[in-house]
Amino acid sequence: MSLTPTLLLACAEKSLNALLARDPAAPARLRRLTGKRLLLRLERPRLDLLVVFYREGLSLLSAAPAEESDADAIVEIDNAALGALLAGESLEKLMFSGRLSVRGQTQLLEQTRALLMDLDLDWEGELAEWLGDTPAHGLSEGLRHCVRFGLRSQRELRVDIKDYVFEEARLLAGHRQREALRDHLTELEIATDRLEARLDRLRHRLDARRESAA
Amino acid sequence: MDKRTTHFGYQEVPVEEKAARVADVFHSVAARYDIMNDLMSLGIHRLWKRLTLERAGVRRGHSVLDIAGGTGDLTLKFSRQVGPTGRVVLADINQSMLRVGRDKLLDSGVGDNVEYVQANAERLPFPDNSFDCITIAFGLRNVTDKDAALASMARVLKPGGRLLVLEFSKPPNALLSKAYDSYSFSMLPKIGEWVADDADSYRYLAESIRMHPDQETLKAMMENAGLERVEYTNMTGGIVALHRGIKL
Repeated sequence: MSLTPTLLLACAEKSLNALLARDPAAPARLRRLTGKRLLLRLERPRLDLLVVFYREGLSLLSAAPAEESDADAIVEIDNAALGALLAGESLEKLMFSGRLSVRGQTQLLEQTRALLMDLDLDWEGELAEWLGDTPAHGLSEGLRHCVRFGLRSQRELRVDIKDYVFEEARLLAGHRQREALRDHLTELEIATDRLEARLDRLRHRLDARRESAA
Repeated sequence: MDKRTTHFGYQEVPVEEKAARVADVFHSVAARYDIMNDLMSLGIHRLWKRLTLERAGVRRGHSVLDIAGGTGDLTLKFSRQVGPTGRVVLADINQSMLRVGRDKLLDSGVGDNVEYVQANAERLPFPDNSFDCITIAFGLRNVTDKDAALASMARVLKPGGRLLVLEFSKPPNALLSKAYDSYSFSMLPKIGEWVADDADSYRYLAESIRMHPDQETLKAMMENAGLERVEYTNMTGGIVALHRGIKL
């Protein structure tokens, strides 16, 4: 029997618990979730995952079908919807679009998402334990500066490329041009529909005259 | 006078001596048991135990008995699974191992739903039909009378409850078996000597694994003890097998 899925789950559990241990807000959130069980059913790849919350973290276990009755909430979801959920898409939107089904305590899913997605890790505190306060602060400031610089550069680069592609080199149609083209196409479609209707009417009239002449 | 003998590794010893000799081995290794397990199995023992946990199907409110629970790896996980309304009993015949396990669990914040019992697996001190699940991980091969131990476990198991036996076994592949033999008899005692300053205990470990029944024999033994739907899963090429049986 392959132990790879077990190894992957163990790694995921260890990583999540390590992250939760570094979030000062996690203990309060975990206290509300302690003892709860969330059964996550992923359609592709087929995976039934039981998430058990306890005071210091969570356990991830691959679940047997019988575990359903022991879960406080059962979530059925496909990969795309899971990605959207983790990216911040609203639960209601996913539920109403039929891509996400929740049975049991629906707020448990919202609380779980808040626990995992609103992590605010105290990296500086963690570094300070290893390096000391002053070097950790200096290193953190440097890293923050690099991140800010990276984000600003990325934003500016995106704007520059957009200007070049749409305005200067005119390699692609811009948003307004596409809108105008769409309007033209809509008008053309309506005119074609009208013409088709007229031709149908003429054909009917012609058929009626032929029948009366015969 | 009782002249019956049993094996202690590759040695034949009087039946009444085996428990004391095994106890000596575990008194000697208790303090470094976890680190040695990680070194010897390259950490894979955690995955074997994790799979045991998954197969146990334990739920909130269940009673679980972890026999030969040693340093409490499985007990810790079970205590989270059963929650405050459940109960986990960590049982071990060896006082040193039990003490290490209790200290480790208390340090991990486990307390309310865990009990510690020094008990012999052959004569479990619990009423009939007491537990929803019983596990014995890497402990059965050290028991003198395995049939008596399995019968005792079946007795204290509730109807519908399951017994899981995680134990070293026999790899069906001849090549892997040869490589495993040379690792067990040359490397294991050396690691034991370097880390725990105790080569003999780890030589006993390798020998006791070879003397333990293979997968099919253990399955038959569990069936003889009154368990049904007995099945086993080989892990890591059959070096370890997880047997599971249900009391109906």
